[in-house]
Amino acid sequence: MIIETREFTRVEGNGKAEIVIEDGEVKDVRLKIIEGPRFFELLTLGRHYYDVPDLEARICAICYLSHSVASVLGIERAFGVEVPEEIQLIRELGLIGEFLESHSLHLYLLVAPDLFGYPDAIRMATKHGELVKEGLALKSFGNRIRVMVGGREIHGINVKPGGFGRWPLPEELEAVEREADGLLTIARRSVRLFSEIGPYGGKAELFVATDGYLTGESLISNIEKNFHYTERIEERPLVYSFAKQSLYNGRPFLVGSLARLLLKGDSLTPLARRLFEEHREKLETGYVSYNNLAQAIELVYSLERAKEIAKTLLDGGIERENVPVEAREGEGIGYVEAPRGVLIHHYRIDGNGSISYSNIITPTALNHAMMERALLWEARELYGEVPEEEMLGRLEETVRAFDPCISCSVHFAKL
Amino acid sequence: MMDKLKLGVFELTDCGGCALNMLFLYERLFDLLEFYEITEFHMATSLREGNHYDVALVTGTVSTQRDLNLLKEARNHSDYLIALGTCATHGSVQASVELPIREKLKAVYGDEGNPMRALDSKPVVEYVAVDFALPGCPYDKNEVYQVLLDIAKGIEPVKKDYPVCLECKLNEYECVLVKKGLPCLGPITYGGCNAVCVRSGLGCIGCRGPLPGEVNPAGEYEVLRELGYDDEYIIRKFKTFARWEP
Ligand code: SF4
Ligand code: SF4
Repeated sequence: MIIETREFTRVEGNGKAEIVIEDGEVKDVRLKIIEGPRFFELLTLGRHYYDVPDLEARICAICYLSHSVASVLGIERAFGVEVPEEIQLIRELGLIGEFLESHSLHLYLLVAPDLFGYPDAIRMATKHGELVKEGLALKSFGNRIRVMVGGREIHGINVKPGGFGRWPLPEELEAVEREADGLLTIARRSVRLFSEIGPYGGKAELFVATDGYLTGESLISNIEKNFHYTERIEERPLVYSFAKQSLYNGRPFLVGSLARLLLKGDSLTPLARRLFEEHREKLETGYVSYNNLAQAIELVYSLERAKEIAKTLLDGGIERENVPVEAREGEGIGYVEAPRGVLIHHYRIDGNGSISYSNIITPTALNHAMMERALLWEARELYGEVPEEEMLGRLEETVRAFDPCISCSVHFAKL
Repeated sequence: MMDKLKLGVFELTDCGGCALNMLFLYERLFDLLEFYEITEFHMATSLREGNHYDVALVTGTVSTQRDLNLLKEARNHSDYLIALGTCATHGSVQASVELPIREKLKAVYGDEGNPMRALDSKPVVEYVAVDFALPGCPYDKNEVYQVLLDIAKGIEPVKKDYPVCLECKLNEYECVLVKKGLPCLGPITYGGCNAVCVRSGLGCIGCRGPLPGEVNPAGEYEVLRELGYDDEYIIRKFKTFARWEP
């Protein structure tokens, strides 16, 4: 017998799950990504490198800037271009804006209704208007940073190989510094609120992240340091899903906020670090549902770090100089921590500056196998114990805890 | 008070941006809710109670059999259907990959079967009649706000029919095509975004789709040729967001 969930709601993109029951027991769970394929690698093939980050941005709206930056890093590495610290910091600031926008979307608009028993944030707002407003305030602040660095709220084209079209103005950075400070109280409250979510979705045992907090030269995990995805991560296509599955040394693994905190908690800003220590024991159990709490702690981190970066840039004065980029034959990988976890853009570029190979792996694709495992664990806990309706609801919450971005996951090619 | 209009948001295959952009209306979304009740919007709500929609917003391209079924359902159950965003109006980036679906699937998934019934991506307007088309990748959120208010008030919304160039002039942005020699598609692209990319000193990449009518794509082509861009580059640039355009 097969029990099918409806299409997931309050997640990005289109997906559902099948629970396979045999002899009264849960035998298997299949996570079906039914969003159509979007063929981004084919799209970028043969195109001039300069146009590629703008196209790749279209992979995902919630984290377009992560895609632009990962793409730019891959291109710059292929050409051997190094950019100065100020460019790196401005990019990091953009990524932080994206964390704020994305985490607050997930926590306040998609997850909070579960906490309070509403079908959505709009209906929740009649009773919990303040809370929804607080979430929207964080979200719009994140978006203002995305406009400043990326050029638009969604799919901006301002982040380019070698620098920016338009640079942030001092008064914009001052506003970031000021507003980040003001929003910290809200973010602290969100840690308290989302720490109320209990354990579900099973325990993850393997965690993967980039070596820096937001970008990296290579990947790290809880069992080894500094490796490239090509050495360890294997992708395989499935007949029932448009997204492929990735395994690390043959096993499912987790990327995202929880993985980042567990692997890189030491590099957090002061207040975020304190909150992490406070909840460390709980987070270290590895329950998938604690990814929500980890995201709330990262809201605090993002605000503190945004303030730090704005201050550093203002104190140092900005040169506003792009680094000249010259096309030459090469190969490069860009690693970025998108809000949902590790994002990989890998390119080979020919002497004319055209893309000759591209491979993109998104966080949701990396988490795909882990999501199935979490669903299986949850289904085994609940099947026969609670009414089917309740089980399906809980499975949807389990998927939601990963904050999956399904649109993102459906288009990678090995060519 | 009069009954609220029933609003459905349907997402076919896309990046999620056009659905997400509705949420980026922030407080103004609540203003819209004075007139509308959202009865289908899977990114935002777990409620599903619609069987008739006064207004349906459809985002994304038809890229699977599921998308096509969903689109037909939306069309059959709605009075006023808006193709929202360049995916829905022109096909956007995913429709511009010019290989037959079988070859594309083979390149990506490695086998020749098509168990999940993928189709060649096409815009919504290829399959059903729409009452209004609002392009943009993503569309400008002020524009959708205005359109929904107009409809609620019984006014037929107005379609923008001028190029991005005009908005550059109104904003007094320096022309990046003439001054910097950047390949800018502003002269032949639907306005309505307030020339936001030119504000960053970068050329318009044409994300709102090609403007039909008075404009002169041949002229644009010549200008880019003179700036030293080769044929293939120009054609791919033109077709990035609208492969299906004549
Ligand atoms: S038109 Fe652009 S922003 Fe809208 S769904 Fe399509 S790709 Fe995303
Ligand atoms: S300037 Fe061009 S590319 Fe930029 S938003 Fe407007 S139409 Fe799209």
